[in-house]
Amino acid sequence: MVVPDTAQDTSKDWVELNIGPQHPSTHGVLRLKVKLDGEIVKDVEPIIGYLHRNAEKLCEMDYYCDALVYFDRMDYVGAMNMELGYLEAAEKLLGIPPPERAQWIRVVMAELSRIASHLVWAGAFGLDLGMLTPFFYCFIEREKVLRIFTAVSGSRQQTNYMSIGGVYQDIDDQIIYDIEQFTEEFPKKLEEIFNTFVKNDIFISRNKGIGILEPEVAIQYGVTGPMLRASGIEYDVRKAEPYLVYDKINFDIPVSYKKDNLARFLVRFEEMRQSVKIIKQAIKKIPDGPYFNPKAKKSLMIRLRGEGEVYARTESSKGEFGVYLVGDGGVKPYRVHVRSPALKNLSVLPVLAKDVMIADLFAISGTIDLVFGEVDR
Amino acid sequence: MIEILEETKGKDGRRNIRVAKENLVALIAELKSQGYDHLSLITGIDKKDKLEVVYHLHNVKENQYIVVRTETSDERVPSISSLYPSANWEEREQYDMLGLVFEGHPNMKRLFLPESWVGHPLRKNYDLSKVQYVNMDEDGNDYATFDPGDGW
Repeated sequence: MVVPDTAQDTSKDWVELNIGPQHPSTHGVLRLKVKLDGEIVKDVEPIIGYLHRNAEKLCEMDYYCDALVYFDRMDYVGAMNMELGYLEAAEKLLGIPPPERAQWIRVVMAELSRIASHLVWAGAFGLDLGMLTPFFYCFIEREKVLRIFTAVSGSRQQTNYMSIGGVYQDIDDQIIYDIEQFTEEFPKKLEEIFNTFVKNDIFISRNKGIGILEPEVAIQYGVTGPMLRASGIEYDVRKAEPYLVYDKINFDIPVSYKKDNLARFLVRFEEMRQSVKIIKQAIKKIPDGPYFNPKAKKSLMIRLRGEGEVYARTESSKGEFGVYLVGDGGVKPYRVHVRSPALKNLSVLPVLAKDVMIADLFAISGTIDLVFGEVDR
Repeated sequence: MIEILEETKGKDGRRNIRVAKENLVALIAELKSQGYDHLSLITGIDKKDKLEVVYHLHNVKENQYIVVRTETSDERVPSISSLYPSANWEEREQYDMLGLVFEGHPNMKRLFLPESWVGHPLRKNYDLSKVQYVNMDEDGNDYATFDPGDGW
């Protein structure tokens, strides 16, 4: 039998496979053009833009306070973090700092939102690997967070709860009790979910050592968030450039030096545990006082004018979420640019998925935590 | 020595440096060697008579930010994608949205919109009243059209 010289033949025998944009494993509308040599992935080209709505242009056409709703629709599984990212920039530009009480409430909501987002990720990641059970467990817990959001804002996902100069409405004792109850019960449930993953041998063998991301490559490609921390770089905006009251809260940044899929999984789970720790501290420290800045009361809100340029960054559940705002002295922003962490994390996929099996391609793209509302904006 | 046109401090406390676009690549290469290894974002701003390009560079180890700005009147800017791989998609996005052409970019194509889209949406003179529809041809490539009967 004559074995063909693969080094010569592969260039001709590559199979080009189109995956998506509508595919269960692409988390929405990601399209991948994959070049295959047998079952080995030789090249991946992500094609995006199927959920593109040009939120940046829409923001330019609205008042400062109205632009907020487009941010809810970016990372729709963790909307509070998106609102926070925009408001950090807008409040600096307009010169309307939120009062102390609103800052603590925002921390609680942002961390609850991070838990909600990571739970969706964990459930969907299980589905990517063919595990159906954890998905339901994750969504039961997520539903509890969404009930708290409904109680504070009236809406489950697109909450629009934070507003310029504070929050939309105050939280009462019942909500504080509900949140405390959640933080008591959730860690036990989280361990249950965690065990459904890590006690499964197939899950471990499909993730250990797969999708190695070197720290130098990660920084060059602009990767941030849990993905960067799983590559061994201890970098978190909450610590590096504290916003709100994060500098008054005691919490740790989980870091893993294993650099693979499993490391990213473990980092995200540890982040959820840290979020619970933050909520437990913050909920006790919420001071009395006004929950919004009187300069931004509803009748004055559309008259707010901003001039200058501000770049503010926050740590969303995906990574460093930055908003660059330019004002020309008018009532509408002149230019809004969003640094989408998921977009940057996706751009490293061709490097991660080089010479892996096609089944591992989905395990790797699953660990990136893609939400297409945010990637395409 | 690279000539710096202006150095200011922004409203958010970050250091702003303005350079001529001829010196841009040299300055950013110099900053990269000083430890600014993470390109946070590239933003294009339409100033009506000219386009401004803003680069946010970040030093992860020392946690420092620097903002480099340059201007162009003919839509052309030198590309820095050979210095930072993450600039590849950022520059494609700015080309897509504002029509900035980055010279020396290996793959200067649109990132979000189909290649045949007319106009660049974030330009201030972009005509929003003309609706474009997107369809897919037989090879699976998207294209834009003004004909509502052709789109879906």
